Amino acid sequence: MIAGWALPRPSQLPRDARDTLFLLAVIAWTVAPHLMHLPAWCGAMTLAVLAWRGWLTLKASSLPSRWLVAGLLLLAAAATWGQERTLLGKEAGITMLVVLVALKTLELRARRDALVVFFLGFFLVLTHFLYSQALLTGLWLLGAVWGLLTALALAHMPVGRPPLARAGAVAARAALLGLPLMAMLFVLFPRIGPLWGLPQDAAGRTGLSGSLRLGGVASIAEDDSIALRVRFEGAVPPPDQLYFRGPVLSTFNGREWTRLVPSFPASQRPRLDLQVSGAPLRYEMTVEPNQLPLLPLLEMTPDLPGAAPALPGWLITQRVDGQWQTDRPLLERQRVTAAAYLQHRHGPQEDMLGLRDLVDLPPSANPRTLQWAAELRALPGLATAGGLQLAEAVLRHIRMAGFTYTLEPGPYGENAIDEFWFERKLGFCEHFASAFVVVMRALDVPARIVTGYQGADPLLQDGYLIVRNSNAHAWAEIWVPQRGWVRVDPTAAVAPDRVRRSQRLAPTPGLVAGAMNTLDPALAERLRGAWEAMNNRWNQWVLNYSRGQQFDLLRQLGVASPDWADLAQALISVLCGAALAGALWAWWDRHRQDPWQRLQARVGARLAALGVTVAAHHPPRERGRLVRQQLGGAGEPMAAALEALDLARYGSDAPLPRAALRRWWAVFARSASSGSILAGRGR
Amino acid sequence: MTPPRSAFGAPPQGGAASGPAEPAPRRPLGLTWIRERFRAWWQARLPLTDQWALGQRNVYILPTRAGLMFALTLVVMLLASINYQLNLGYALTFLLAGAGVVSMHLTHGNLSGLTLHLRPVTSGFAGQPALLEVVVHSPGRQRHGLALRFDDRARHGGHPALCDAPAGGETHVQLSFTPTHRGWHRVPALVLETDYPFGLFRAWSVWRPAGRVLAWPVPEAAPPPLPAQAAAAGDERAAQRRSGSELDGVRPFRRGDSLRQVAWKKVASSGELVSRETAGLASRSLWLDWAETGASGTEPRLARLAAWMLQAERAGIDCGLRLPGRELPPRQGEAHRRAALDLLAQWGGA
Repeated sequence: MIAGWALPRPSQLPRDARDTLFLLAVIAWTVAPHLMHLPAWCGAMTLAVLAWRGWLTLKASSLPSRWLVAGLLLLAAAATWGQERTLLGKEAGITMLVVLVALKTLELRARRDALVVFFLGFFLVLTHFLYSQALLTGLWLLGAVWGLLTALALAHMPVGRPPLARAGAVAARAALLGLPLMAMLFVLFPRIGPLWGLPQDAAGRTGLSGSLRLGGVASIAEDDSIALRVRFEGAVPPPDQLYFRGPVLSTFNGREWTRLVPSFPASQRPRLDLQVSGAPLRYEMTVEPNQLPLLPLLEMTPDLPGAAPALPGWLITQRVDGQWQTDRPLLERQRVTAAAYLQHRHGPQEDMLGLRDLVDLPPSANPRTLQWAAELRALPGLATAGGLQLAEAVLRHIRMAGFTYTLEPGPYGENAIDEFWFERKLGFCEHFASAFVVVMRALDVPARIVTGYQGADPLLQDGYLIVRNSNAHAWAEIWVPQRGWVRVDPTAAVAPDRVRRSQRLAPTPGLVAGAMNTLDPALAERLRGAWEAMNNRWNQWVLNYSRGQQFDLLRQLGVASPDWADLAQALISVLCGAALAGALWAWWDRHRQDPWQRLQARVGARLAALGVTVAAHHPPRERGRLVRQQLGGAGEPMAAALEALDLARYGSDAPLPRAALRRWWAVFARSASSGSILAGRGR
Repeated sequence: MTPPRSAFGAPPQGGAASGPAEPAPRRPLGLTWIRERFRAWWQARLPLTDQWALGQRNVYILPTRAGLMFALTLVVMLLASINYQLNLGYALTFLLAGAGVVSMHLTHGNLSGLTLHLRPVTSGFAGQPALLEVVVHSPGRQRHGLALRFDDRARHGGHPALCDAPAGGETHVQLSFTPTHRGWHRVPALVLETDYPFGLFRAWSVWRPAGRVLAWPVPEAAPPPLPAQAAAAGDERAAQRRSGSELDGVRPFRRGDSLRQVAWKKVASSGELVSRETAGLASRSLWLDWAETGASGTEPRLARLAAWMLQAERAGIDCGLRLPGRELPPRQGEAHRRAALDLLAQWGGA
């Protein structure tokens, strides 16, 4: 071992060095989660600066000059500019903030510098929530806040060498005592919308997309995060009925499916015409932010009173294709209640001009598939067949022709459908759905692709059905006269498990999860379940808490139609009540005196009434002497009582019990009143 | 009437105790003047006490600049939370706000309940720092980050003395205060303040200790030699008393004997501390007379007398002090020196 490299133990470090190293560690802890999404140079620079600062501390060397720090800052600003073309956006701002905090540690000269680091640090903690508000993130950053408060407390304990634990306890105490205030503010602070428009850079996370390009769903398949949670009032419907309707894609350009671009006037376009029957299936759904202006509700949720979803402050409409639309993207978790009818019919009953859009195909793309469809049509028995029969025939072909369901079909080229239908025969839901719809259209049957989620985790968690992003699915609808739109799921033809048992698209497990699965798959599943139940509670109670919940709370408290002003009033009245209680306590506390002192004050007042002036600091013996001197014989009992008190008080080390003082006062008051009579008579 | 020698106890007359020759307070202008007036008015409201118990009545609290900065940070964080709809952002902001509010109570509670008292202040020469020792007693828990300083930082220096008060115990804090001129000085108003635990709030309490400090006159830097011996009838008595018993003998060391009187050789051989007592020393007694200083004006005379006093003390000469209407018989030792200097310090005649 090389002695020069041995790190000193924390207890051997000078206090300043220990405090600085602690602060550096806290900053590193705070910055750490950002390293995942910040540019590599920023992470490297930050860690290097922190390590350098730590080294300087250990070596007790002097800090670098301000010019060097300013130079590094300029360098960082230039790099950020080069990368983001701005210094103000979210990413750029966070990059600069991280660099700034790290560089400021090189400037810890005065107390003011340290305070700047603390306040930047608090803000830095907040920036993490732009990326994740998960339970683990919250816990990690709670640690960061505790560390920052501890360092702050340490900076204000200037004497001696207070142990870190003591500063930590002070910080924890302040935070814990502040919890009621925090909880009250959290519950009652009115949640108002964004102040200056939507954050532009909030979009682009995972989820359903408004378009479908072959290969696009593959990334979702590997995303095991939760898309939505559903709780049914009654029994949970079977998995093959769990179709959550997302964007409906009707226009195909040969490579990519998009929403319908109608080419007919509005009067000619098919309408929704949703008819429902049977019992409603009431459910509550928590939708994770999907960055899309839609709610993936269960098929079919009609726009009827009592069934349609309601979100206060949102405008929610049902599109003509049956998908539920919101007026702005879901950037936060939302909880809605709605009712669905599993038995439903939708779409026009009779053929109409607008349905021609739904058989439109780009003429030059996928010629072999078109040819194949024409040949199918020419088969005896199918020449005059309706849409359902043709669909049956195509599904039979899919089942028989050696198609394989796989999550990794590999990339497809220019005529993707041709390639899929005739050569590779490898794919997952979107390949099957898209090929099926192309074939059906080639057979002159109006058809379209519906994207959304299908199925859920087999086990309920906390009463909630969990639907993950890996449950994302694409299926088809064909139009049949007198029936309207009929759902056909071609994936079921080749991988019935996918739909019936609602098996998710299982990605290859990661290293840790894989190891755990080999050890004990059941345990791993249980752990995962427990974790997700906890996470669900976190989401339901903390992250999902929004204006709706606030208004619900007020309604429970008896406010008829709450608005944000009521919230503000509630908050202000609670704050005023607390302040008033505090003031009352302070008033009481001010009058709460040491019993001995209070007794002395009362004795002084009583003696003053008798015309004997004593000073506040006079002990009872001295008061006795003054009484005897000024009142003479009339004051004798009082003087004796005072001397006895003096002896009792100062004769022993033990403090006098309160009761003894009270008894003494009774005796003294009696002698004082008789003394005043005597004194009066004497006069 | 002689004012009490101790720095404590009620002042002999009401009103501000000050030396007879206190210069007129300078008249600062503008804001400083207003501040001075405010401080004077404020301090006049405060009682003079030996002991200062800190409680709600006398502990004040205001946010510091750091506290305002913290509040600004919270506002920015709240705006960010609103704009990005971050529920955890709200939670963090409110957590910090809660901790900040609690820290206000902690800061106040860090002072509340303490008691202060001033230990007797020893007299010293004007212009020399006098050490004030304040005892901070914490009846309950441990208190951190206390700072004691003078209220009037401009006049007495602003460097606070930092301390922690142990739980249920006391700690001693020392501050030095330099009296500018001879005479009695009121101990300047003291401020005990703290910004523990987070520095967001500053709580303080102003205390006007009842104690006083006596500042001796500054001895003349280069005084003329001691006046010639003028043995008067008065000191023959003392000389006889001294020389009668043991001539050139030794006696056990008594408090107040100067180190020159110690018979070091005897000490070395016997191991006991003994003082030499000789007729020669005893006979060398001297009267220092106000009228014969050769200086003019009160202060120069006092300065010369003080310097001579010290000189005689060093030379081991018994010397007495004769001021108009006051006399201090010739003697030696620490107590005598103090008595003489106290007399000079309080001299009020012209």
